Parts: sequence; structure tokens; C-alpha cells
Amino acid sequence: SAGPRLRLAAAFSLLLLLAGAQALAPSHRLTARDLARLRAALERPFADVQAAFYSIVGLSSLGVRVADEKAACNFIKSHVDSSSVDSLFYAAQSIRVLSGCEVTISNETRELLLAAVSEDSSVTQIFHAVGALSSFGLPLASQEALSALTARLSKEENVLATIQALETASYLSQQADLSGIVEEIEDLVARLDDLGGVYLQFEEGIETTALFVAAAYKLSDHVGTEPAVKEDQIIQLMNAIFSKKNFETLSEAFSVACAAGSLSRNRYHVPVIIVPDGPAAVSHHQPVLRLQVTDVMSQPLTQASVKLDYAKSASSKATVLQQTAFALSGDVFELNFMNVKPASGYYDFSISVDGDQRFIANKVELKVKVSTEVGITNVDLSTVDKDQSIAPKTTRVAYPAKAKGSFTADSHQNFALSFQLVDVNSGAELIPHQTFVRLHNQKTGQEVVFVAEPDSKNVYKFELDTSERKTEFDSASGTYTLYLIIGDATLENPILWNVADVVIKFPEEDAPSTVQSKNLFVPKPEIQHLFREPEKRPPTVVSNTFTALILSPLLLLLILWIKIGANISNFSFAPSTIVFHMGHAAMLGLMYVYWTQLNMFQTLKYLAILGGVTFLAGNRMLAQKAVKR
Amino acid sequence: AAGSVGSVVRRFLAECGSSTPSRLKVLDAYLVYVLLTGALQFGYCLGVGTFPFNSFLSGFISAVGSFILGVKPRHLWIPQNKGKFQGISPEWVFAGFLFANTVLHLVVVNFVG
Repeated sequence: SAGPRLRLAAAFSLLLLLAGAQALAPSHRLTARDLARLRAALERPFADVQAAFYSIVGLSSLGVRVADEKAACNFIKSHVDSSSVDSLFYAAQSIRVLSGCEVTISNETRELLLAAVSEDSSVTQIFHAVGALSSFGLPLASQEALSALTARLSKEENVLATIQALETASYLSQQADLSGIVEEIEDLVARLDDLGGVYLQFEEGIETTALFVAAAYKLSDHVGTEPAVKEDQIIQLMNAIFSKKNFETLSEAFSVACAAGSLSRNRYHVPVIIVPDGPAAVSHHQPVLRLQVTDVMSQPLTQASVKLDYAKSASSKATVLQQTAFALSGDVFELNFMNVKPASGYYDFSISVDGDQRFIANKVELKVKVSTEVGITNVDLSTVDKDQSIAPKTTRVAYPAKAKGSFTADSHQNFALSFQLVDVNSGAELIPHQTFVRLHNQKTGQEVVFVAEPDSKNVYKFELDTSERKTEFDSASGTYTLYLIIGDATLENPILWNVADVVIKFPEEDAPSTVQSKNLFVPKPEIQHLFREPEKRPPTVVSNTFTALILSPLLLLLILWIKIGANISNFSFAPSTIVFHMGHAAMLGLMYVYWTQLNMFQTLKYLAILGGVTFLAGNRMLAQKAVKR
Repeated sequence: AAGSVGSVVRRFLAECGSSTPSRLKVLDAYLVYVLLTGALQFGYCLGVGTFPFNSFLSGFISAVGSFILGVKPRHLWIPQNKGKFQGISPEWVFAGFLFANTVLHLVVVNFVG
């Protein structure tokens, strides 16, 4: 039976809750503005009974009553069609919600409704009939209705019919065995599409998904069993349903309203939304971190207890605060973080909301920024003589004043600047991200920016040596205004301070006649391609001489052969001999042709033929010679 | 001293002339020719430069290869060694010599460029 399976699912969900598993965080909810838009979509003048039903019941899910209940009641009574089961359903549901709206049902109407509860009607018909009968307070045979519903459902296997079956079952008495219908919840959950791990919805759309959520919780509350939906799945369903902010049809708005109502009011799962009230930043002026802890309809959960599990510095991972409770102040929860005097920077907060076993998504991680103000102290401007012969002249300046007089940097002396940055509130030394020294040429408008670096004692130093830095300045001498720029994400008071005027003199020969703009987007000098130099060759005379010289040993050979008396007298004119010699000569000729014209493959082809012929002829010739010998 | 070198050379040549049969002398003349050709090529390379290197190499290897291939028949033809090489007739030695030379010069011509 389904009992043990559901219990297992319930136990598993509870385990997840207790273990505080790192669940998905909700990304969408109904903010106050969204709620207003939803209300506006529902508060339209009624077109017909169905529209009236959507408006009235939808608004009641949001906890809002219709503006003029009497008018609504009259509208329904005058527009209901007693011969239509659907119309009766809409009327019945609306009347049940409206206060002080009574209606009497004729016997015909009752018979009509009871007749509709049969296997021959569609699931929608059964649903509407059962709903109407229940809302009118008329008796209903639950077991028969259930069997008709189950039989019909097995024929209509689609998602919408199953959802309507869930709704129908919530009107039936608990005496009937509703477990078969309750199991359908699990089957429907399996049919949801997971989109990117963030959204979960039916392919039929948001409206169907929202109707499913409302129906599932309605039935679960009715039978007293926790629905077989996991915490992550609930959050994903939430994300999908509340991602829709504009409603094209009344039925869409109605479905979202029902889902919102059921997710904030059911017996099992109440998703919690934890968002900072304003930016998640604290400082000396604003030491309190405010949190909005609400349900999906942005209603504050004032009964909850909100606790900070830990607050760790994002950079050093040191815990600065743990196990501290937030205090409720009106509708928001507050914590004065500056009490622990944290250093400026970013902190990872882990916050949990307890107080109700139904809470889900009740643990959240937040990044909180602690800002501070920076102060510049010990600002010393000095001119340092390069030869070290004259002692440096140091002038101290206090922010935000400007130093009187001007300082000179030329080939004899450097200009130096040193300062310290402290946290105004705590006195600790600060290393902000941006510490720049900007020199602005008053005449040409040229500006050069340097970075001031801290030394080991966190004292910032900047030195201007005219010989080292002339490329940055393009050797343009003149009076420069010196600015100090200090900035960081965690500083509330970024600083742009005109500290002093500095006269910089570059050596005369380097000064350009006009100051060229350092434009990056001009054509660069063209690169000429260097072709490979041909190798050095000897003069033609030399190589020709050598060619002649090389042939001289051949001459020597002929002379030697004649002298020795090479024997060619035995030369016989037998055909094989002639063929052999011709073939051999041809082979030599082929070598020459190969050198000038042919490639290896052609040569080998010819060589094979010639070689074969020569070989055979040679064989015969030598055999004859051997015989002669 | 010069005289003694000259007399040694003259005596060497005289001995050469008398003791070697004429067939071998023909072969020796060929070998000397090949040697000279190779030496001249090498000298040119040293003097003028190695461009084009592939041509020099192929020419030089042709000379060296021909010399080596020519030495083998000489080795086989000396009367003192006749006893050792009974199975191979002089004709076949010549045929082998021709074949090896063909292969060598095929490669040389391919490489000379």
C-alpha cells in the first residue's frame, strides 16, 4: 500500500530539514509590487460566473476580500446557469467564500449534480459536480464518487485531469480510501521538467504547475499526509510559478494566487524568504543589518526566531560573531553588527530561521559589506637632493588643505611624497585598492598617473625622479598639479585631493617641440619583409674554369689506357656484344636525361627496360667470352 | 733528400709497371682517374665554398663510391687471390660492378639537382 512509501518520503523530508542540508535558495517570490499587480489582475469587473469565480476565490487565496461582496453575490445569483454543472461549480465555490451569501438549491439542480458524478462524465465534470455538491452543503456518496473518479482517470491520463482529480478528492470524505489519488501526487512530480536546476514546471505551462501546487497541498492537508515533494523541488516550483509577473488571462492570475495562498498556509511546507532590507551593508553611520523574513506572499513571519549561525571574514575566514539572535523591530529583524567592531571588508553571514517545523529554505548565506571611512595622516612632501649633499626639505600637509608654495623636481633633486592611510573609526591601517598619484600639466592638459605603494610598515611612498620618468611625461617640463586619489569598495569617502603644485624640469635637449598626443590608434610604422638573401655564388669564370679542370683527369685516363695498351682487339662484332654496348650507352644517356628532365619513377621504368636488355645481352656476351677462354 | 724521394717514386712506378698484369693496370688507371676527380672536387669546395652543397655532395660521393666499387674487382683479379674466390667468374664480377655503379649513379643524379 502507499502508506509506508509516503511515510518514508515524509521521514526523508524531515531528515533533510533537520540536517539543514544546503538547499537551493529561492530566486523568485511575490514582492509587494507583484502582489499589487496580481490583485489588480484579479479585481476586474466580472464578465461571467467563471470570471467571478476566478476573481473571488483568487483574491481570497491572497487573503483579500472582494470590494463589494453584496454586489458580487447578486451577480452570481443572477448569472448562474442551473443547467450547467460548470456554472454551478463556479457559483458554489464563489458563494462559499463570500460572507452572507445564501442560496437555495432546487431538487432538479441536486439531481443534475448527482447524475454528473459517474463514470460516463469527464474528470472535469466529476470535479465540478463534486465541488458544487460539497460547497452547497449537499450530501454526497464519497465512495461511489471515488470509484467513478478512479475509473475515469485511468481513461484520461493527462496532467490537468490528474490535478482535477486531486482537487476532487479533497472534497471527499476521509472514510473513502483516497490513497490511490494521493499517490498521483508523486507521479505528477516525476513528470515535472527541470530547467537548469532552478525551475521545475510542467511542459503544459505555469498555470498547470500552479494549479498542481494548490491541489497537492489542498489534498495533503485534507488527508493529513505530507506530500511527496522534496524541499528542493518545492523551491524550484516556487521559482517557476513566481517568475511570472504579468498575467495574460484571469485563469493564469487565479492559478498563481492559489499557489501563493497554499504555499503560505498549508500544514507541511512553508517556504521562507530571507532578504536584506536595503543593501546588505553596514557602517558606522548605519550599524544595523536589517532582514526581511517573509513567506512567499511577502508577509512577515514575525513569530519566527532568526539567528546568525556565524559571520566570517571573506578574506581571512576568521569567525567574528556566532550564534547571535536577530531582534524583531516592527516587520524586520535587526542585528547591530558594528558592536563587534569588525574591520572593513566583506563578510559571509549564515542565517537560519526557526520556530516552525514547516519552514523550508530557512537557511541562507549572505555577503555583507562593512564600510568605513579613510583618513590620510602623516602626509610629507619633500624635495630630496640627488647628491645627498643638501638635507631634504620636508613639508607636512594636512588633508584637505593644499600645500603652500610649489615643489621642484629636476635633474638635481627628486620629489617625494609619503603618507599613511588609517581607518577613521578604529585607527587600524588600511590598504585600499586604489591609491593613485595623478600629475596634471596645467598648460597642455597632459596627465600622468602613478600608483603609490605601501612599504612593510604600511607607509605609502611615491618618488618622482625626472631622469627615470621622462618617457611617461614625454619630457614636457612645466607646472603640474598633484592629486592624490584614494578609493575602495568598502570606503564611504573616496578622496580626490589636490595636494600641491610640482614644477618638473626635464633636460632641455629632450623636450619635444610639440606635445604629441599619445594616441594609440595611429598607423604604426610599416614592417618591410626581408626576403631570404640568395647565397653567395662564386664568379662564373671560376666555376667554368673548374668544370674544364675536372675533365682533365678523364684525359689523363685515356692517355694512361693507351700507354698501358688497353686491349680492345678482342672486340667481336657479335650481336649480343653490340646490343650490350648499345644498352650500356643508352643507360648512361638515360642518366643524363634523368638529370635534365625525368623524375625517379620514369627513370626507373626506362632503366628496367634498358637494364633488362643490357643484362641479357651482357650475359650472352660474357658467356661467349668464357667459352672462348 | 729530394733525390731520395724522387728515386723512391721512380722505383715504385717501375715496380708497378713490371709486376702488375695489364688488365689490372687498366683498372688502376681508372681508379687513379676517379681519385683525382674526387680530390679536385674537394679542393674546389674548400677553395670557393659549398654552394650548392647538394651538387658538391653528389659529385664527391660519386667519386668516392666509384672508387670503392672499383677496388673490389681489383681485389678479386689479383693472381695471388685467385684461389680464394673459386665460385665467382670474372664476368660476373664485371656484371656486379656495372649493376652497383648504375644504382650509385641513379642516386647521384637524383641528388645533383
